[in-house]
Amino acid sequence: MEEKELIQSILQKGAQYCDIRKEKWHRKILYLKDGVPETVIQGEEEGAMTRVLYGDGWGYVGTADLSSLERSLERALSMAKNSDKLKKDRTGLAEVEPLQEKAVYPMKDSFLDVSPEEKLDFLQELETHLKSDIVRSTDLRYRDLLVEKEIITSEGTHVTMEIPRLVTYMIVTGKSDTVQMATEAIGGTGGFELSGEAFEKADILLDRLGALLEAKSPPSGKLPLVMDPHLTGVFSHEAFGHAAEGDLVSSGNSCLKGKIGEKVASEIVTIKDDPTMDGYGSFPFDDEGTRAKNRVLVKDGVLNDFILDRENAWKLNMEPNGGARAEDFRVKPLVRMSNTIMEAGDMVFDELIEDIDKGIYARSTSGGQVNTAQGTFQFNAQVAYLIENGEIGRPLRNVSFNGFTLETLQNIVGITKETGMGIGHCGKGQSASVTDGGGNTLISQVTVGGRE
Amino acid sequence: MIEEGIKECLEQLKKKGLTGDVYGIRSRILSYSIMNGEVSDSNEYEDMGLGIRVFKDGRVGFGYCAPGKEEIGVKRAIELTSLSPKTEMELPMGEKPPAVKTYDKKVERAMDDGIEIAQQMVDGASSVDDDILPSRGTLKIASGNVIVGNTKGLFYSQDGSIITGGVAATLPGEKTSLMASESSSSRKYDIDFEEVGIAAGERVVSMKDLAEIPGDKIPVILSPDAMGILIHFGLLPSFDGENVRKGKSVYEDRVGDEVAAGYIDLVEDPTSNWGLGSFPFDDEGVLSSPVSLISGGILDNFFYDLKEAVQSGTKSTANGVRPSFKSPPQIGSRNVMMSGEDIPREELFAGRTILVDNVMGAHTSSPASGDFSVVANPAWLVEDGIKKGRLEGLMISGNLPGSLHTMELGDDHKKIYDSIGSATINIELPSVKLKDVTISGK
Repeated sequence: MEEKELIQSILQKGAQYCDIRKEKWHRKILYLKDGVPETVIQGEEEGAMTRVLYGDGWGYVGTADLSSLERSLERALSMAKNSDKLKKDRTGLAEVEPLQEKAVYPMKDSFLDVSPEEKLDFLQELETHLKSDIVRSTDLRYRDLLVEKEIITSEGTHVTMEIPRLVTYMIVTGKSDTVQMATEAIGGTGGFELSGEAFEKADILLDRLGALLEAKSPPSGKLPLVMDPHLTGVFSHEAFGHAAEGDLVSSGNSCLKGKIGEKVASEIVTIKDDPTMDGYGSFPFDDEGTRAKNRVLVKDGVLNDFILDRENAWKLNMEPNGGARAEDFRVKPLVRMSNTIMEAGDMVFDELIEDIDKGIYARSTSGGQVNTAQGTFQFNAQVAYLIENGEIGRPLRNVSFNGFTLETLQNIVGITKETGMGIGHCGKGQSASVTDGGGNTLISQVTVGGRE
Repeated sequence: MIEEGIKECLEQLKKKGLTGDVYGIRSRILSYSIMNGEVSDSNEYEDMGLGIRVFKDGRVGFGYCAPGKEEIGVKRAIELTSLSPKTEMELPMGEKPPAVKTYDKKVERAMDDGIEIAQQMVDGASSVDDDILPSRGTLKIASGNVIVGNTKGLFYSQDGSIITGGVAATLPGEKTSLMASESSSSRKYDIDFEEVGIAAGERVVSMKDLAEIPGDKIPVILSPDAMGILIHFGLLPSFDGENVRKGKSVYEDRVGDEVAAGYIDLVEDPTSNWGLGSFPFDDEGVLSSPVSLISGGILDNFFYDLKEAVQSGTKSTANGVRPSFKSPPQIGSRNVMMSGEDIPREELFAGRTILVDNVMGAHTSSPASGDFSVVANPAWLVEDGIKKGRLEGLMISGNLPGSLHTMELGDDHKKIYDSIGSATINIELPSVKLKDVTISGK
């Protein structure tokens, strides 16, 4: 039976809704460690996720065997029926326009046409570029992947898409009084042309390692903080973006619940999550087949929107905006961010720091974590600098910050015109490629965890 | 299907006069989500795949495929051999694997009752206080079969099972909501999930009263959950044999040195029955045996896979780990256990201490230096074992390798299983008292 017939047969058995998401993944991975090719992998895999809504219960079944879709759908129906028996809350799906479209994300220089030898040459060149007296060890990791997706729903949506993504991680290690490591990543949604920015980032990485090797532990306590553009993006993602994810809002796990239309940040703050812009988290349709949209989450300090899939849009009586993403065909889609950006302000960097007697200027990040229900966050800077009397001073390492999201957003007092972005992977039980960015941002006070 | 696939790959390699190994996995995973006070949905996945490593003229290539597509998988792996440098790595011969208990049929049987089991966590948390909302949680039940074969005749097969569940209990607070969680994992179906829910509920209730963050330096006691995750990100990378050889570990050139208090042992033991990371062989077919990392405070050994063992002039410690069939083996910890002279709870909590039940941001710890700076949440000020109030906005900073010299161990061992990103964490350890941690947030 064809997919549409299979879906019809499940509806005839009482299901309200059913969909099939077929995926094919083509991956190439090359690792170059200290100039030596360490790992070279190529592979393909395919499979499908089937979803059935029966009554108020969902059943999700993933399979790597595309010949067993009928069995997967039947199993998903059975699981949905079992789930429905215990459910007290109602479940529904907000309406979307059924789409029949195909989208192919363009590659200017297709990585499918670049041989593994050429990709290795790129890494070798990058390794040569990173050779320096301060570098003890280099670890370069290149990965490209092309995902082909087809989503067929019982409501008439049938979309197909091809999404190419490329990423190269650069890790350098050096030693002074202790071993220090700095990392950087380049890439995005597109082809081999994205590799071009690696060399510029490699220079930044070397500067960062040099600073780390001279750095000392930071002071601890409550201090003004200036975040560089990448860190501003990570702050927007970790501290705010997760709390704006519709599933966490509707289930009582977000400090933003019930606050649409309220002032939640300083009026100079506008944050968007936009899968339609160029970035590592871009996509044309989400994993429910809904067209991707730019979400302006905070506009001039006022909470304006959430990131929403269909189920949570229904629960919150809002419009779905293409917020459902799944790591692959093995798992159900969750509400996820894409490219999260805090919009530029009107200051220049010197203005931002000129009135700070003692503070921290934090650059890039090793990640962060958030508790959306409590509205608290932690994130870490790869390297930081002490600001004293309006001037950038000595470098600092092992610098982390924490605070309350809503309090901290109100404490943003300056953003520069100059902006930038960084890429990474967000974890929420599943991995998702994301871009985060913004301007240099001054927060009047956060807690800095230092050893002095 | 996996067994036939592996045999087919090995046959093809032999016909081409090549050597290699094949890792195959078949697994069935059921997960149940808890959202907003109820079990919201169920998710099932059956996974199967083959990871193929080929040696041609001393060079290695790697490919992966689904069973039934062995020919293309082998071809992809062979194509890539020209890109790698020559290696002297030798694949192991087949021997009798140690008997290690890793599979409980009752776990597989529990798959049909997953919704009811997840509901027990919801009911347990809700029973503690009418205002508690079990707002998030997951129950995951998995079973499967792993096979490793190579062209030298090695062919090992073993079943494994795991059941893991956790729930977060939320209470409305004055400024923000309060949230605490509890989780438990086992290879056997021996967990009382209602108790897991009750523990989460009791924990969040104990967060109602606030205390002031002390301005002085007082000892910090980390629960097994908090310490386990910090050790994974901030200490175990220093035991990676490749990091040691390349000078990326604080333990470079330090074997035989005193690196911890004399009463501390750190052992990698994948042969421990029912250990969450136990298995009779690693993912490249090296037989498991206990490996002492630190014994009586003295640094003993590191983690090695087959490739790094050649580079470092030593033997594999059976630490060749594949995050999935799509990845070649890499060095990884499997079933680490921290133990030693422990002290009773009353003694551990004597006087003024801070209890940290969980930390945020452990993954931002430096894998090279072991420096960490994390949010302690939830955390309490404790006097002689009695919680005096929750500490809000507390950060703790320190250095794990340094703390090993002065830390004290409690007597409440727990098996920790977690996954963050691609990292799977399997550590068994007690609560730990750290005396050299900087606290901030006052």
